[in-house]
Amino acid sequence: MGPISSANKKFLVIYVLLVGLPLLGLAGVLRSGRGLRAPISVDGVWRFRTDSANLPAGGCGQPLASLQDSLVTISQSGKGLVVSLNNGAPAAGSGVIEGTTLNATVPLPETSANAPGCASDNLLTLRATIDPKADPRSMQGTISANGCASCASVQYQAVRQTRSARSDAH
Amino acid sequence: MPNLFTLVLQIAVILAVCRAVGGLFRLLHQPRVVGEMFAGILLGPSLLGWVAPHLSAYLFPASSLGYLSALSQVGVVIFMFLVGLGINPKELKSQGHAAVLTSHVSITAPFVLASFLALYLYPRLSDDSVAFTHFALFMGAAMSITAFPVLARILTERNALGSRLGTLAIACAAVDDVTGWCILAYIVTLIRAAKSSTPIWMTLSGIIVFAVIMIYGVRRLLRRFEAVYSRSGSLSESLMAFMLLLVLASALCTEALGIHLLFGAFLMGAIMPKEHHFVRYVLDRFETITVTMLLPLFFAFTGLRTNIALLKGPGMWVYCGLIILVATAGKLGGSMLASWLAGMGLRESAGLGTLMNTRGLMELVILNIGLDVKVISPALFSMMVIMALVTTFMTTPVLELICPLRSTAKEPAGAEVTLAQLSLKLNPTDRSAA
Repeated sequence: MGPISSANKKFLVIYVLLVGLPLLGLAGVLRSGRGLRAPISVDGVWRFRTDSANLPAGGCGQPLASLQDSLVTISQSGKGLVVSLNNGAPAAGSGVIEGTTLNATVPLPETSANAPGCASDNLLTLRATIDPKADPRSMQGTISANGCASCASVQYQAVRQTRSARSDAH
Repeated sequence: MPNLFTLVLQIAVILAVCRAVGGLFRLLHQPRVVGEMFAGILLGPSLLGWVAPHLSAYLFPASSLGYLSALSQVGVVIFMFLVGLGINPKELKSQGHAAVLTSHVSITAPFVLASFLALYLYPRLSDDSVAFTHFALFMGAAMSITAFPVLARILTERNALGSRLGTLAIACAAVDDVTGWCILAYIVTLIRAAKSSTPIWMTLSGIIVFAVIMIYGVRRLLRRFEAVYSRSGSLSESLMAFMLLLVLASALCTEALGIHLLFGAFLMGAIMPKEHHFVRYVLDRFETITVTMLLPLFFAFTGLRTNIALLKGPGMWVYCGLIILVATAGKLGGSMLASWLAGMGLRESAGLGTLMNTRGLMELVILNIGLDVKVISPALFSMMVIMALVTTFMTTPVLELICPLRSTAKEPAGAEVTLAQLSLKLNPTDRSAA
């Protein structure tokens, strides 16, 4: 092997500086990033089961009643959530997850809001606590209809569906 | 069963909007494909779903999207085969140190910068079902890609393919794409293995065995296509169908191995014979229906998954701005610095950096994979789509600012360049045939 030319030496030095060192930096980033914590995952399709004893009979409480044994889809981006109800008329709202606490509101479709005894700004409010250790992941909390004066809050439990169960559900 | 009326209506609307917006972008001296990407966003919840939700729900009911997705994926499978076919990494060898250095730095710089950004974005835009390592590696791969086809179109439209800048950019983009797809295949394997019962060593071994069979076995078989073409100047319909079958079989193998359909299609294209007339012939046969019909469906499907409304509040737009800044600094800055240090002039280096910053369609393909395997969230997907649009859109005006077109070298406005024409133009000996 002959001596390395000065051009090749320069190339090697630049290569090490611009390619080798950044790769070392990447290794450092991957190592230090392991300690980071992201919000608890709630993304996916959830099967909701409500406490049937407290369900309102109809009228503007109908949206609450229709949540019994229904599927709710949550799309997650960090702490931000988009909550979609798949029961009857589709409705989507937004929410947030802080630690293990989930809060979301879903504006109901006009057909629900126009039911007898409903305020025009009828919203479903979900509050829940996530059990991060449960597998599949579960949550329990309350749902209330803000525009329904006669409706009490309803307790619910929800379990995240596995991928195959989600496919079946669609 | 699909609702055929809805499906055909969707295809018609998508084609009409993509052609119209693509034509408008041509007036802005942008490649048509940039307009088509933008048209996809317009058809999604970011515009149509926002201003006319009932029309959007009628045109694109959720239950129909599976069929649109399937059609668009078939289009992308064939397109990735064509991209692999058009790429010839051997071109890098003739470019010397500048190309090696620039192509490697244009991958590592955005990759590392993106992983630093991941430290900031992971707690804000991800969730605990995604490991930080997967998130950071995916962000790196997504930011380090260059859209070889769009880059080639821009260069061709500027009559700059034969220039030093053009050949260097094409060679670097080819290496970037091959490297980027290898890295992405590894990342997707890691992510899927984490959720699968199959041990990762088994998946990796399978992929390596598959790649070896393809490169050292199937590749020899593929030479017969070229031999037949050389003898008769064409390939029979049966041979073309057999070639398509091989593409699909390769795609299915990589999917079954736990990576993704697209890697198999890309690999099949990459190992195809590279004789330029043969490449041009195959591209001609496949390109028209893929580019004019199936890719717009992919743009529309991507647009339907992109929801700019998810970027609520100034904080989210700051994240989006950071993504664009880091992507541009890494790709444009990294390529520019490397080529300047390798001896290119400052202006030429800046031009090369600008070209390498073109992400276009390839970025959308990668982002869709990321959303499918859930390594990125819907909001981050939307931000990255915006980044892809911005970095692709900025290429032509910034390049014009840095390296103004010589009016004599310019092709007529509105000229559309196909990959097949590109294949011809890449080979200087064929200029007369063009």
